[in-house]
Amino acid sequence: MSQATTSRATSRAATSRTTDRATTGRAGNRAAPKPIRARHSLAPWARIAGLAVCALLTLGPVIWTVSTSLRTPAESFDLPPKIIPTHPTTESYRGVFDQIDVWLVALNSTLVTALIAVGQMITAGLAGYAFARLEFRFKKPLFGLVLATMMVPLQVTIVPVFLVLKSMGLTDTLLGLIIPAFPTAFGTFLMRQYFLGMPKDLGEAAMLDGCGPWRIFRSVYAPLAAPGLAIVGVLAFNYHWNEFFRPLILETSGQNYTLPLGLVSLQGNLGTGSISVVLAGVVLSMIPAVAVFVVGQRPLREGITSAGVNR
Amino acid sequence: MTDSLTSRRSLMRYGAYGAAAAALGGVAANWDRLTGADIPGRDDGSLVVATLGPAYGPAAVRTLTEGFRKLHPDIKLRINAVQAVDWSDFFAKILTQIAAGTAPDLVYVATEGVQLFARRLGVALDHWVKRDAEELREYFADVHPSLVESMMYEGSLYQLPVEFNAADMYLNKEVLKRAGAAFPAPDWTRDDFTALLRDMKKSSGSRFTPYFWTNRLWGGVVPWLFANDTNLLAESKAPGGAWLWDSFYPPAARRGRGGGYRWTTPRATDARVEEAYDYLASLIQEGLCTRPEGGNGQNLVGVFSTGRVGVTPAGGFWAGGLHLAGMKAPDYDVQYFPRWRTQRMQFGAAGYALLRTSKRQEEAWEFIKYAARRDTLSRLFTTNQTTPARRSMLDAARYRETGPRHWQVFYDTLDKFPDTGPIPAPPQVAEVEQVLLKHTGTALASRRAVAPALRRMQGDLEKAMERDV
Amino acid sequence: MTTNTRQAPARRPRPAAPPAAAPRPAARDRGTRLLATLFLAPTIVGIVVFTVVPIIGSVVLSLFHWNVIDDPSFAGAANYREVFSDSTVLVSFRNTLVFMVLAVALQLLIALALALAVNGRMPLWLRSVFRSAFFFPLVLSAASISVVMKYLFNQDFGVVNWLLGLVGVAPVPWLTSENGAMAAVILVYVWQQFGFSFLLFVGGLNNIPKEIHEAASLDGATGLRKHLSVTLPLLSPTLLVASVVGIINALQVFEQPYVLTNGGPGDSTRTVVMVIYETAFEQLRFGPASAVGVLLFVLIMAVTALQFRLSRRFVHYQ
Repeated sequence: MSQATTSRATSRAATSRTTDRATTGRAGNRAAPKPIRARHSLAPWARIAGLAVCALLTLGPVIWTVSTSLRTPAESFDLPPKIIPTHPTTESYRGVFDQIDVWLVALNSTLVTALIAVGQMITAGLAGYAFARLEFRFKKPLFGLVLATMMVPLQVTIVPVFLVLKSMGLTDTLLGLIIPAFPTAFGTFLMRQYFLGMPKDLGEAAMLDGCGPWRIFRSVYAPLAAPGLAIVGVLAFNYHWNEFFRPLILETSGQNYTLPLGLVSLQGNLGTGSISVVLAGVVLSMIPAVAVFVVGQRPLREGITSAGVNR
Repeated sequence: MTDSLTSRRSLMRYGAYGAAAAALGGVAANWDRLTGADIPGRDDGSLVVATLGPAYGPAAVRTLTEGFRKLHPDIKLRINAVQAVDWSDFFAKILTQIAAGTAPDLVYVATEGVQLFARRLGVALDHWVKRDAEELREYFADVHPSLVESMMYEGSLYQLPVEFNAADMYLNKEVLKRAGAAFPAPDWTRDDFTALLRDMKKSSGSRFTPYFWTNRLWGGVVPWLFANDTNLLAESKAPGGAWLWDSFYPPAARRGRGGGYRWTTPRATDARVEEAYDYLASLIQEGLCTRPEGGNGQNLVGVFSTGRVGVTPAGGFWAGGLHLAGMKAPDYDVQYFPRWRTQRMQFGAAGYALLRTSKRQEEAWEFIKYAARRDTLSRLFTTNQTTPARRSMLDAARYRETGPRHWQVFYDTLDKFPDTGPIPAPPQVAEVEQVLLKHTGTALASRRAVAPALRRMQGDLEKAMERDV
Repeated sequence: MTTNTRQAPARRPRPAAPPAAAPRPAARDRGTRLLATLFLAPTIVGIVVFTVVPIIGSVVLSLFHWNVIDDPSFAGAANYREVFSDSTVLVSFRNTLVFMVLAVALQLLIALALALAVNGRMPLWLRSVFRSAFFFPLVLSAASISVVMKYLFNQDFGVVNWLLGLVGVAPVPWLTSENGAMAAVILVYVWQQFGFSFLLFVGGLNNIPKEIHEAASLDGATGLRKHLSVTLPLLSPTLLVASVVGIINALQVFEQPYVLTNGGPGDSTRTVVMVIYETAFEQLRFGPASAVGVLLFVLIMAVTALQFRLSRRFVHYQ
């Protein structure tokens, strides 16, 4: 109780003492200087029209997917493509539910993705802080080791990983997908950048107040890290929701399939499946990813942005 | 400022606590799901059967399980429908399970993998077949010997075929009518075929290609090689097998049967192989035929059912596929593959292979017999997603709803052309298939490209066949 | 896993106090070291168990013949010899490098152009719409979207050729000719990936102080020249990150060619990771597959190291 009060008091003191600096120092991107207003030789309307065309090209395939999933297979190859289906039908969506146990694979995907996201937020938050704000031996080589894991193709290590999981008794379980995904190189890198972006004086002030390293983390920096952690979570969700290769090799029981794996069966034996049903499956699997995108768009954008600045 | 910051921070803290609680609760509530402990039949001594997922939906798995339980209430059964895009994906996954020491007892294996499994992983069924000969007499009487022979390896039988698909020609009747062409006769020739494609081309718009095919081992270039009386690899028959032929088949059906196929020396540079490729290249050049696309032929249903394609090779499995896509029986029909030097056709069959590592071999044999029963297959193949291996199951009632009108073609491909045989699939099949697909792609770039590409194919095939799998 | 985490601190070397820092109580340094150990343990233990050990496993495997079914037998350098004489492997390395250069260049170029354009004057809501649109493909699954793209790029029935036809371009044999297939794979890959670089650039541009630009404008620099002489050097750290991440990802490309072309026609779009997958999981030759994997890993390390070396000359830090 008393501890909580003091910690809150300390953090408040630390914050109030540095509010003036926080606006310029904290997480560079947030309080960024105004964007450049370049005087382009191009007329603004031409630039905006060009951007609009590019945006349309970018979203075109997605729009086509959605609209084709609402058409009958016979109409799927109509050219010009009818963006608004003449006879909209949800038949294909019913087909998806008939052919695969959507609820089970969705539950599996949700469990796997959510736990990996939470796990990565924890590991990346802690490791990122250590690399950014703590001094210890072998810091550089250890950070290099973390970054180097980004360079290892999954396909190279999947068989040894499989054998490691076997020794742990985790083959063909969802945990076998989840646990190896906890360490995250990019997430750790991101959180290190994020903590580096916070003013150093915050911690120094707390130290002068007699706070130990744990207290400095707990009361000063950790509370500021939430947006950064959100980015790690959203990125993890994004990647692992769509992950195909690891589940393909590691999960053998039908009950353990994740959504992308379940969708494979829609393609049918020897490719006899209906394209509309395949696309309906693609659209269904997109929904959660899009929802997370809408909610997490801002932290995601800021996170990727901050990775590119201040080293 | 400070107050609002504090309240925001405490809100965040409660939010974090809430999230942590939810995560812990979620983990606790779903612990069995996470560890797979809730999967019935896991590690409890059940007989495990691995099937190819896309061919076996949840309903099929249920049918198969319930039927078996009624017959053998004492044997616990778990059917594992493995999701894989194609056979090589499927085998990759089975092998990973074997590596992990969690191999199934039975694996659904198509011609593509029959010899690989027989040679490295499988158990011959001979002594069970001999033991239960009386029980099986009815089965063999109903199944064409060509299908059975395709499941033999070096004199022993490794699987009882339950389904097969030969490559016949599907024709879009609408396109035929547009071209003013008659439905081809059963003994149509390659030149009739070419003429038909030209008529179709003439009478159709620019977004139309008469002949569509998919570049794969089954139903790609191989039917043309067979029609031109040649093969990708030299084909011969292993000795033996008389034990089966003599006890189950009449003398007429025994003739020329042996102990299974042997595919050995590559013959990609054979003059007839080159001739077949040259023919396809000329069709492509004339705009009568699609180029070999990589991957699977998924857009085929769409383009065929909408008349953007006139002819394509497929098996009985397609009747169900076209029906699903909304094609009615009068809209399309089926004829044999056209004659060239011969009218020999190719097929692929599938059945259950018993693994050596299985500790429940007797139970597994019971399942193999159960899976080949007529009532089992009837309940399983309700939508014409494949051709049943049992002749008696092909009747007018089965094809009334889906078509095609000439459904007899599916089984007559075996009955009327007894030399029709399986696609070449030696134990080194994975590499052979990859080499074939790859060089077919380059060989058909132009007619000039054929010979050099086939020489490279020959070299790569020789290397592949030298490997001991 | 939990037990591993607990054991970890004991196994790790004890970090020493930082040299030449202001004198601090020894207790605090010990606290810092303990905290660092605890904080790093989950990540480092995880990486050791699930990446370092498997890599060592791959290197060992590359020295053996192993087909999963039989026990492995020692092969020495035979797998490497085989790999170096296998034309498919060599072609796949060439394809991967060609793909990397073209895809990363295109990706960076598009992203940079769009980032500059979006940063220009426009209503706030519109900027946000554009930013979301360009970022959107990143949230989709590469495998699913490649299935979709396969339809769109179909030579005879696809939407892409239809669109090109509207502006008078003859049908392009996208997936059926060697150059067309590579182009299609690159386009699909870039379509999905450019949003990442785009956001990096938007962020980088935001961080360039306005005054620098005003100064440049006073000096008479306008439009493209201003970008070349002022913006680009200031953006170079972002450019480095974008290209490093872009190259690492591009060298591991798998889903797009696997689904779109399956490596064909011929070997023209077969990438290194595809060869690893096919050799290991389709042909069951885990030895040569591991050898190719080790070579790819070495290549990625080398390219990345080269980039950082070059960056010392070209990257300009404020």
